[in-house]
Amino acid sequence: MIAQFIDGPLWIFSLSVFLIGVTWRIVTILMAGNRKDLATPRGSASAGAIRTVFTRSVYERSAATRGRLLLVAGYLFHIGLFVLLFFAQPHIDFIAERITGLSWTAIPHWAFILSAELAFLGLLLLWIHRLLSPVTRMLSDLDDHLGSLLVFLVMLTGCLALAQSFESLRLIHLLLAELLLIYFPFSKLMHTFTFILSRGYTGATMGRKGVNA
Amino acid sequence: MYRVSNLSQAGLGLKTGVLLWLLWLLLLPLETVADTKQPKGMPSTMVLNPAAELWRDVRQRDMPISGTTQVKGVDSGVLINANGDKWRKFRMQQLIPIGGFLLLGILVGLAVFYMVRGKVKIVGGESDRKLPRYTSYERLIHWFMASIFLFLAITGLIILFGRPLLIPIFGKEIFSIIASASKEGHNLMGPLFMVALILVFVKFVRRNIYQKGDMSWLLRGGGIIGKKHVPSNFFNMGEKSMFWMLVLVGSVIVVSGLVLIFPVFGQSREWMELAHVGHAIGAILMIGVILGHIYIGSIGMEGAIDGMTTGYCDLNWAKEHHDLWATQMEKRGEAIANEEVNRFSDPDTNEYLGRELREADK
Repeated sequence: MIAQFIDGPLWIFSLSVFLIGVTWRIVTILMAGNRKDLATPRGSASAGAIRTVFTRSVYERSAATRGRLLLVAGYLFHIGLFVLLFFAQPHIDFIAERITGLSWTAIPHWAFILSAELAFLGLLLLWIHRLLSPVTRMLSDLDDHLGSLLVFLVMLTGCLALAQSFESLRLIHLLLAELLLIYFPFSKLMHTFTFILSRGYTGATMGRKGVNA
Repeated sequence: MYRVSNLSQAGLGLKTGVLLWLLWLLLLPLETVADTKQPKGMPSTMVLNPAAELWRDVRQRDMPISGTTQVKGVDSGVLINANGDKWRKFRMQQLIPIGGFLLLGILVGLAVFYMVRGKVKIVGGESDRKLPRYTSYERLIHWFMASIFLFLAITGLIILFGRPLLIPIFGKEIFSIIASASKEGHNLMGPLFMVALILVFVKFVRRNIYQKGDMSWLLRGGGIIGKKHVPSNFFNMGEKSMFWMLVLVGSVIVVSGLVLIFPVFGQSREWMELAHVGHAIGAILMIGVILGHIYIGSIGMEGAIDGMTTGYCDLNWAKEHHDLWATQMEKRGEAIANEEVNRFSDPDTNEYLGRELREADK
């Protein structure tokens, strides 16, 4: 009964909330518009936007030394998670069966394990740093920790179900993934999509002013 | 006719009787096994393996265990691995009960110690000044290792003690799910412990080299037993010994763990069994020591955990437990007022901003 609910209606509901919520959030941001800047442009806003989208991903030398570790941890987590999500065989099978009908080549099992290790390494380092550093601790709210916790639990339960021997372990993983999908549009996890918009906006504003920022 | 018929019937009866008697004789051993193995009143379904004698002879023969075979692979020439049974018996009859009682004994010992000694207070009370003790990077790798270790300890204990402890509570079905999840999680997170161990070793090794005064700390029981003050450096003898135990036993755990989770490098079953024994003994030993570490950091000693949570320790605490280091730091003017720590409660930030502010105040 519960298994059927998790596998059926709850999956449809969570996916719908995710898709509608994310679309709604992005559309509202795009529709918000800008105040008209009457000043004479001193540079290209478009070039500034494109430049900033990429340069924000690179280590900034003027930042503190410890920023390097967080940058590496950030890359480890995000790349590891991305690979796990889209290139793990069970996920490809799930996406093909339930969403797109399309499948693609999966990474080998050892690469799957390595990606999971790197993702956990990055997530734990970032989360512990968030808790320990007084600056990030003060900047963080319940949303940050809830988002981290949900992502951590989804990753963990997925790895605990690696043997694929027990249906209940798969269902726990799926249930947590569904909760994450429902929570996603209402949280800071939206940065998965909005980071391009925010970086682009900052870059365009600065680029128009002729500032390389 | 009647007589012949009677005779033939009698002969048939004799033959049948003999056959039945022989059958009864053959069934006698089964009767014995059923009598000894099965509980009274239960239907006996056990059937003796007719080849049991043969396999027993194969296992107990006095010749090399490995034979010749066309099959290529590690141990493929071994018909029966006799050591496997020794390993199984050691695991079930010694490792699990002794290891369990050892850990239980440590927990009880710590509880008794707490009831007798209580929380070790800062005798002089909390000071109005603090000393920067750990940088954010040091705290980060400490807590990273702690979180990985806790996960591995819990899953490892489930794998080792789950059968006798959890099956009676959850039943076999649920335990099999928990055990499978624990095994997968343990194997996955294991290599991260190696990463944590390397990071911790590189960062803390210099301060954990034994130096003058460490032996006197040991001889005087570290100060926790009794009330007498014992001088100590940044790390005392107990902490240094724990560090080296962590590094050495941790290395054994890591190497044996890698042997177990990557059985693709040609290691034989004997190596795997040896790795398992080393892994389990090392882990039990380390869990026991870490229980003591957690005890001191949490309920055992006032102010002990502050350095690892905030980066700062109380000046009086430092003077009472690490006075050689505290005196040195105080002389260098590193003691910081509590208000200033609260403003920039991060040694990394203080290194730049705090020092500038202190110099500006002067």
